[in-house]
Amino acid sequence: MVITPKKLIAWEQLPIAILFASGFLVFLLVAAIIPNAISATDPYAIAPRHAFLSPDWNHPFGTDQSGRDILTRVIHGTRQSLLVGAGAVAISFSGGIILGLAGGLGPHWVQKGIGAVIDVLFSFPALILALLFSASLGTGAGPLALAIGIAAVPGYGKMVFSQVLSVRHSGYVEAAMALGHTPFAIVRQHVLPNALRPLIVTATMGVGQTIVWAAGLSFLGLGAPPPTPEWGTMMSMGRDFIADAWWLTLFPGLFIVLTVLSTTILGRFLQRRLEGRSS
Amino acid sequence: MTRSHNPKPVLILIPVVACLAVLFYRYDTDSKTRHPNTHQGSAPHKGGTLVFATEREPLCLDPHVYGDMPQVYIAEQYLDRLVSMDEQGTIHPWLATSWEIADGGLTYVFHLRHDVTFTDGTKFDAAAVKRNLDHMVDPATQSGTAGGYIRQYTRTDILDPYTAMVHLSSPYSAFLNVLAQGFLGIESPAALARPRDVNCQSPVGSGPFIIAHWDHQSEVILRRNPAYAWGPSTAQHQGPAWLDGIVWRFIAEPSVRFAMLQAGEVGVIDSVPPEGETPAKANPDVSLLMADRPGNPTNGTLNTLRPPFNDIRVREAFIRSADIDGALGSIFFHHYARAGGPLSLSTPDYSPNFEHTKDYDPKRANELLEKAGWKDRDSEGYRLRDGKRLTVHIPISTVLAPADRTLWEQVQATARQTGFDVRLEPLSETANIARSDAWDYDVRIGYWNTNTPDVLRIVFGSAFTNHFQHGIHQNASGYSSPIFDGVVEQALATQDPQQRKALYQQAQEIIAKAHLQITTYSQTTRLGVFSNVHGVRIEPSLRVINFYDAWMTP
Amino acid sequence: MTKRLASQRLISRIGLSLGMLFASATLTFLAVRMMPGDPATIILGGAMANPTPGAVAAITKEYGLDRPLIVQYGFYIWRLLHGDLGISFSQHLHVAEVLRQQMLPTLALASLSLFLAWALALVSVFCTVRRGRVLSSLGASLDISAAALPPFWLGIVLLWIFAFRLHLLPPAGSSSLASLIMPALSLAIPLGGFLAQVTRESMEIALDQPFILSARMRGLSMGQVLRRHALRHALLPGIALSAWALGALLGETAVIEAIFSRKGLGRTLVYAVSAQDMPLTTGIVLFVTVAYILASLVIEIIHELVDPRLATSRRRSASLWL
Repeated sequence: MVITPKKLIAWEQLPIAILFASGFLVFLLVAAIIPNAISATDPYAIAPRHAFLSPDWNHPFGTDQSGRDILTRVIHGTRQSLLVGAGAVAISFSGGIILGLAGGLGPHWVQKGIGAVIDVLFSFPALILALLFSASLGTGAGPLALAIGIAAVPGYGKMVFSQVLSVRHSGYVEAAMALGHTPFAIVRQHVLPNALRPLIVTATMGVGQTIVWAAGLSFLGLGAPPPTPEWGTMMSMGRDFIADAWWLTLFPGLFIVLTVLSTTILGRFLQRRLEGRSS
Repeated sequence: MTRSHNPKPVLILIPVVACLAVLFYRYDTDSKTRHPNTHQGSAPHKGGTLVFATEREPLCLDPHVYGDMPQVYIAEQYLDRLVSMDEQGTIHPWLATSWEIADGGLTYVFHLRHDVTFTDGTKFDAAAVKRNLDHMVDPATQSGTAGGYIRQYTRTDILDPYTAMVHLSSPYSAFLNVLAQGFLGIESPAALARPRDVNCQSPVGSGPFIIAHWDHQSEVILRRNPAYAWGPSTAQHQGPAWLDGIVWRFIAEPSVRFAMLQAGEVGVIDSVPPEGETPAKANPDVSLLMADRPGNPTNGTLNTLRPPFNDIRVREAFIRSADIDGALGSIFFHHYARAGGPLSLSTPDYSPNFEHTKDYDPKRANELLEKAGWKDRDSEGYRLRDGKRLTVHIPISTVLAPADRTLWEQVQATARQTGFDVRLEPLSETANIARSDAWDYDVRIGYWNTNTPDVLRIVFGSAFTNHFQHGIHQNASGYSSPIFDGVVEQALATQDPQQRKALYQQAQEIIAKAHLQITTYSQTTRLGVFSNVHGVRIEPSLRVINFYDAWMTP
Repeated sequence: MTKRLASQRLISRIGLSLGMLFASATLTFLAVRMMPGDPATIILGGAMANPTPGAVAAITKEYGLDRPLIVQYGFYIWRLLHGDLGISFSQHLHVAEVLRQQMLPTLALASLSLFLAWALALVSVFCTVRRGRVLSSLGASLDISAAALPPFWLGIVLLWIFAFRLHLLPPAGSSSLASLIMPALSLAIPLGGFLAQVTRESMEIALDQPFILSARMRGLSMGQVLRRHALRHALLPGIALSAWALGALLGETAVIEAIFSRKGLGRTLVYAVSAQDMPLTTGIVLFVTVAYILASLVIEIIHELVDPRLATSRRRSASLWL
């Protein structure tokens, strides 16, 4: 038997997976922008007499220690969680580009210097960095996004840096330089598009990873204040009741898993499309 | 190119799987070979090592340093005190056999036992008493509790080897009460001579157990003091402890602690989670041991130094807008009783007159707010005055227990109905302290455990406001009343119990009428005990766990 | 020529490592000292304590908290240069002693997790890559799903299933091997999914190389082809990422150790940060940095051993670093 050299269609390229991923992300976007369209209940409304109800028809995800509906809270928590995820990625994305471009295009000593700085910072576990930053920046969604965003800058910086370096020494950039194009034009026309392409993919997937980190920090008490409906905070509060009320922790976590899964699938899909176009 | 030692990941997995299988098996057999309970209420059995799972790890084992509750739990097992206190609040001899109070309460002469030896061989004597009291008030000790309780202490004179004369700067009738607390336990002077941070790791006392080893983040190992022959009269037996030793394990997760107790993997746990109490009562192998702690109950203290709570009507309105009973029911499953007044039920000279003066009454709250000028409501239903919203800022430290946080969320929800915009502001503990130091809060959440009504002076006395300046202040409300100060000072000066009781009644009334706190529930000791463990006692002074009389069925 | 290159490499590598340590210390110092609040108050028990003003003053003096920040920083770095990590404000112990006590459980957890992650990743890739459309899709989707699991959430779910429902594993503790299983799996499964994705991709690229086809033509079985030829190529990207992964694992132990009530550096770090314990926080971060530097070295050696293009390997791996 001979293996067919033709690549098999990867699982994540199957329409079903793409459909699922984009469908879920659209759902999340709607939930983030107009949560009341999906669940009109007040996520803060307490009903002490209905505390700790296990999932049933009225409360598909059950209720928490104050009798609040978990489904409602998960839906309303989308905005907060996505904002932290997207905000942090935006920060690390722009930070990474500035660092990477400066390093990749600057004179030799700048290149060396920034390369070393990126290497040094990259070695720091991002979660520890985020923990330190968020402890000094204070608690809440904004500081959390900022802390994680800054912590992830070295990762993005490293990627842009190496992309810029490889593009810079590529034939067409050298040709453009030989033709006397201004450095700005070269950067805009050649360096940026080529360096950014893989970065867009990483950023898409990064949103998911960032949400996981944010949830981790919320879990340690550094995130959005309870009773804010935020996935990590909800899990953190639910952890104490895990022995009797597993639904407090399971469902917010499940939404994180599905979000990360969707962004990964979409990111990889994007990656194949972009690769296909560039070759 | 090939090499012979190609990695074969599947083969690597085999030992891993085998290991896992063995572990699963071992763990399983462990739990099955546990002996069933065979206790018939017989005489205590000597021997055995008890595993105790507790919530928090102390930062230092010497209770003079810092001074947090986990320190006093463990100090209770290895330190003795000069005096002991019983359930009724009466003071009894312990290391001191008798005492005289002279100079209108300015000097205390303690006559000491002659037969007490610390576990490092040092003799207990008057010099040891002097060394300990000096150590507590020495700034270098970094005492947050013990030193603060004896601010009146000036010096000790050694009259003879077994007679110590203690001088105070002002009369302090609560002195013997605080000496009965574990925070003021007597340590070996030889051990105290070592640097503070060394003593923190391996302090030495004269108690029924000895600190053998501290494995940080994991456990402290205590073993029996075989020479122990000076137990307090509040104990059930004399002589050495029954247990060979105690494994004092730190398990922060309440659900995990409780699961381990139900499985019998640990003998005793503390801080039984409220959601565990119902299953515990249904489980024949688990019994619960509870006690209210004396002091100022768990509360939110209202800052009277700034609007809106500089107006007593708004203070009362806020207190009456908070459905504490409803919240306690849903969060603690009706296992925690409401504390209504400024003192916990178990505090000496407690008055039951104020138990219902702070009950939920939204109607009265609305009337009070109308009178105070908070008449309008905005589109969200919050009250307005001069266009400003009725906002209450409550810093919430990340170290606050989740159940307490939920309690305040419910206060937020019920107070919203009368028009309060309650902002729960989560902060790291350090940021929380900074806000507290700056008086930048409308409500400060806290409690104060101590075995004397003198807690009223610490929590509401004008001497504890730090002159309303930036910095640590125990009086969080900023309340300052010469009448109240006079009453509690008088109570400290009198040695007549009846007169003292009357004065503290008066003090409780003044505070209740000033509407300074939303009191929620008394701090409680909540122990879960497995069926093979007996004789676990709750010590009366601070309601702390005590293992001196504890024993296990073999 | 090669000798000069090697010494050059060594020097710049040491320089980079020292730079990392210096940056760790400085960053952590600044982050901790920028936190709001006064460490002296925290040391005495916070807003609720009852210390005398004398006690506050004594602490401020003892830890030099009254001196300007730059002076404190200078003193701190000076002591670090002498190998003195200082004394923890909150634990009343030498930082070195805290590290000595807490590092083993954390290192055991992180390295077992890394090992398990690799085992899971290799099993997934080996059992499913190019084994028909259904199986390889299943493998790939398993990888992606595993990588999407937040470790702490997985930890809680495992805790609930294996400790609270099935009573198979102890819910807490750090002494027995059995207590290591759930924490390690919580970290290993997501990381395994990630490593499997990377390895699967490079495996597929390797399998498309002409030499694989010719090996198959020579009559080698698929398993033999995978082991003898494709594996080495496929492992490299994952191996290169392993040092980074170990660092990330050390960070994630913070949450996992809390969930499973294990002793260790992660939990200590979270505590140290919340107590603004500057010497302890810095000590732990420095330790993690050292662990990363050493792990990178080991990983690089493994990388060179595994890389089939031995002739060019030295230069290649050097470029990873320089």
